Amino acid sequence: MFQTRNFSRRRVLQGAGLLVGGLLLPGKAPAQGGAKRLAGVTLNVSTFSAPFPKILIKWLPEFEQLTGAKVVYDTPSFPVYNQRADLELSTGGSAYDVVNVTFIYSSRWINAGWLTPLDDFIRDPNKTPADWDVDDFLPGLRAPETGKDGKLYGIPWSVDTFISAAARFDLFKDAGLGFPDTTDDLFDTLKATHGKDKVAGFVTDNHYGWSFVPFLQAFGGNVFRNPPDDLTPVLDTPEAIAAAEYFARIVKDFGPNGAISYTPDQVVKALQSGRVNYSAIGQTYLAQLGDSGSKVAGTSAFGLAPRGPAGRFPGVAVHGLGIPAASKNKEAAWTFIQWALSKQNTRRALVEENLASPTRRSDFESPEFKTSSTINGYDIAGIVRESIDISAKGGYMKYRTVPVYPQVDQQLNKAIANIASGQLSARQAMEQAQAGSIAELKRAGVAL
Amino acid sequence: MTDITDIIRFRSGNAPLALRWPTQRFLVRVGLHVLVAVLALMVLLPFLWLVQMSLRPEDEIFSDAVLFTPTLENYRALWQGNFAGSFLNSLAVSSLSTGLSLLLGVPAAYVLTRWRFKGRARVALWILTTRMAPPIAFTIPFFLAYRVLGLQDTVWGLALIYMTFNLSIVIWFMQTFFAAIPESLEEAAWIDGCGVWRAFWLVTLPLAAPGLAATAVFCFIFSWSDFFYALILTRTNAMTAPVAIVNFLQYEGWEWGKIAASGTLVMLPVLIFTLLVRKYFVHGLTAGGLKE
Amino acid sequence: MPGTLSWEASRRRAYLTGLVPALVVLAVITVVPTLFLAGASLTPLSLVDPASLFDFSNPLRNYAELLHDPRFLGSLVMQLQLSALTVTLQLAVGLGLALLLNVRSSFFEAIRTVFLIPMVLPPIVVALIWKIIYTPDVSPLHRFLDFVGLPADSFITSASTALLAVAVADTWQWFPFTMLMILATLQMIPNEPLEAAKIDGANHWQTFRYIIFAYIRPALIVSGLFRLIDSFKAFPLIYVLTDGGPGSATEVTNYYAFVQAFNFSYWGYASAIAIVLLTGVFTLSWAAGRLGWNGDEGE
Repeated sequence: MFQTRNFSRRRVLQGAGLLVGGLLLPGKAPAQGGAKRLAGVTLNVSTFSAPFPKILIKWLPEFEQLTGAKVVYDTPSFPVYNQRADLELSTGGSAYDVVNVTFIYSSRWINAGWLTPLDDFIRDPNKTPADWDVDDFLPGLRAPETGKDGKLYGIPWSVDTFISAAARFDLFKDAGLGFPDTTDDLFDTLKATHGKDKVAGFVTDNHYGWSFVPFLQAFGGNVFRNPPDDLTPVLDTPEAIAAAEYFARIVKDFGPNGAISYTPDQVVKALQSGRVNYSAIGQTYLAQLGDSGSKVAGTSAFGLAPRGPAGRFPGVAVHGLGIPAASKNKEAAWTFIQWALSKQNTRRALVEENLASPTRRSDFESPEFKTSSTINGYDIAGIVRESIDISAKGGYMKYRTVPVYPQVDQQLNKAIANIASGQLSARQAMEQAQAGSIAELKRAGVAL
Repeated sequence: MTDITDIIRFRSGNAPLALRWPTQRFLVRVGLHVLVAVLALMVLLPFLWLVQMSLRPEDEIFSDAVLFTPTLENYRALWQGNFAGSFLNSLAVSSLSTGLSLLLGVPAAYVLTRWRFKGRARVALWILTTRMAPPIAFTIPFFLAYRVLGLQDTVWGLALIYMTFNLSIVIWFMQTFFAAIPESLEEAAWIDGCGVWRAFWLVTLPLAAPGLAATAVFCFIFSWSDFFYALILTRTNAMTAPVAIVNFLQYEGWEWGKIAASGTLVMLPVLIFTLLVRKYFVHGLTAGGLKE
Repeated sequence: MPGTLSWEASRRRAYLTGLVPALVVLAVITVVPTLFLAGASLTPLSLVDPASLFDFSNPLRNYAELLHDPRFLGSLVMQLQLSALTVTLQLAVGLGLALLLNVRSSFFEAIRTVFLIPMVLPPIVVALIWKIIYTPDVSPLHRFLDFVGLPADSFITSASTALLAVAVADTWQWFPFTMLMILATLQMIPNEPLEAAKIDGANHWQTFRYIIFAYIRPALIVSGLFRLIDSFKAFPLIYVLTDGGPGSATEVTNYYAFVQAFNFSYWGYASAIAIVLLTGVFTLSWAAGRLGWNGDEGE
């Protein structure tokens, strides 16, 4: 008798426990429809810190809710990301499932076979919905993500074009000057306005292998003699030295305290708070001048990258999301990539978060992009489009997709830093960069 | 023992302390205390600045105001991110590494103290030089080996490479503690029929217990503080707190409040442990460092 | 029973069981990697081409290249400069503070604990603290300098001050080490020679020079050598404060090896640099051993 009562009480308690436990378990409640395909999977994503990854991190709970996966999203700074990713990919590591295919490394990584081809994932109707439309991504942006074998290894998520902006255009106007178009104009304008109202003249990010090259080419110089066929570095030509001297001068003379340590994010913060006036840097950063926290939305002006004696050479860089060859969760990784770059989400990033670097044609040509990228009456979308056209016609960006460019990129970083910090003259620094690049290329097995 | 007041005494003549120029001596003594206190404050200033920054609300980081209402918001924000995981990793790796090093090192230290064999000095020298090598020398071969063995980005992998410095620390420190215990006590145990290791366990180890505790703490501190090995050999699974801090430094926006909070959190265990073993610091540093 | 031959034999066996595991583990984790490193330094190993690990066609190529690599040679100069700076500063500050704190009182004992703090902080936290101090936007130092009308350029982006800035941070971290070692020796100086000197009418500079200095000289040498050996390992400060810059102004040899190894996976070349570093460190350790630090009397 006693036992029966206990038994039935225990039964009731057990049943109650199961019911409560079942309700508490996430994602297993029967009320939710649809299977959680990736339940129990931990996805490791890593890209360098940039506006779009920040938006993705914000939306991660939605992805996790949708698929049941857990996402760990790591966003180191650009140089640290590249170093870690390169090390991981080169040793066949599986620490990351989704990586950023950095523009300057894309050739190196793709053609060494360190990434997974994505064509099969795209074609498989079970893995990718039909309306995902890979062709909507601008062909020019898919090109650097394609290997020599014609397969696609990355889906572009960002196109960064080198444009220029003045956060305190009113100071230029007060000095009776307009928006500088040529490198000479720029120098004169900076000289006239640097320091006025406690605002420094010029700042750009210290990745000089990116921010210096438009000036290098504008002065008639180049990185390699004739990429991709002739990879002899030509960093010590008179034009290159003149460009280096000019660039280092505006960085040092017209920059804020500690200018050569400024990362892109510091540049944005400095511009937004009105501490520095002019910058030439990627539009994904300059578009943030119109953000709600920015003090300079009403005084900004925008324009193309400066034109030099040899012409205008705005830099264009494409970054994509890819899957390492050794990843253990390739399907889950692809689910993440196609979610992040779906038509809905890219349009949402544009509209809700004012993302300024769309890679889909549908987004690029949408009226929303035009409105969201107009700041203070300036049509940034138009400037970006024009820059991309110039780059497509000129073909001068070929230097950047050479597999051994990263080594030269670092030589340029050091060279400009050396000139701007007064350690070497422009001639000495560029000659050192030239010798260093040749040594690095030899060490990487390139025949010169 | 000589101290500054003795030196002052003999500059002012040989009169006993109580009589000659008592006011002068008092003032000098007070001045000395003040000077030392000021110096201590100056030395602490950078460290205190970090702590106060961690308590500052984010929007007041750049403000010039000296006073502010302290907030724990930075710490709260930290704990919700990945930082908690890296903190636990640090804990796991440090404990594991300390345990392993003690297990292997304590008996070895005992043997080196008691057994005077030929070549002993050379072995002792080798053990110490292992600690001197720059970490880069070990990371390259270890990285490749771990890739093959699958120990990359694991807690065990880190604990293993930490033995390159912890093992020699254990042996070096424990040697001096064991040397202070008279052999006669062990010999008495041997005469009573105990084996070498039984005697060690029953007699020597309890006497050396304070030294053992101090050594364990040192191993923990050194493991906790390592940066280079963790930077190279961990990615996401086994990332330790120092590496997580560097990740913060490179996040955009330069969230100084969170950065300062993470720094303060990482140094807290070390500070607490140091206070516990501060007596042994001098002992550990100088023991074996100088001929007496 | 102790004293018998069988006892001695069993004792020796017991000792071996205690010692050998540690030695074996130590050998595996230190000697084997070093041999591998030496081997890799003879190859052009680069991870883009893993087979190059076995390419011994031109064994000394890396070393030959090192001799002509201006960045490497520059790094050696930087390393020597940094080491000289840090050791001198740490000995000077340590000596000064040790002399000052050499008073037997509970107040001074407590203060000594305060001075310990910089040394026990994790190096990355020290790097963080000084990064804040050296970043003009948030630095109390820069704010103070602005306040007194001496605005200064960022110390870590100016080539002439970058190395000094790193040295100052390093000294702040490690002066307690030299201070404690010197203090311990000072406290062991017996009274008799000092009394004798006083009776002979020596002034306190003479006392310092002829008596105190003789006693603390071993501590100065030993702590100096320790700090010298450790200075070759400088990493977190440089990584956080300057990243080897501006340009290559703070790119010491250890850092250069790191850059070569982990930026483009030139492991053959980096191994050669590491071997050069190791040789330097071992030579110094041997010198330290000869100067009687190894804790054994007369062996």
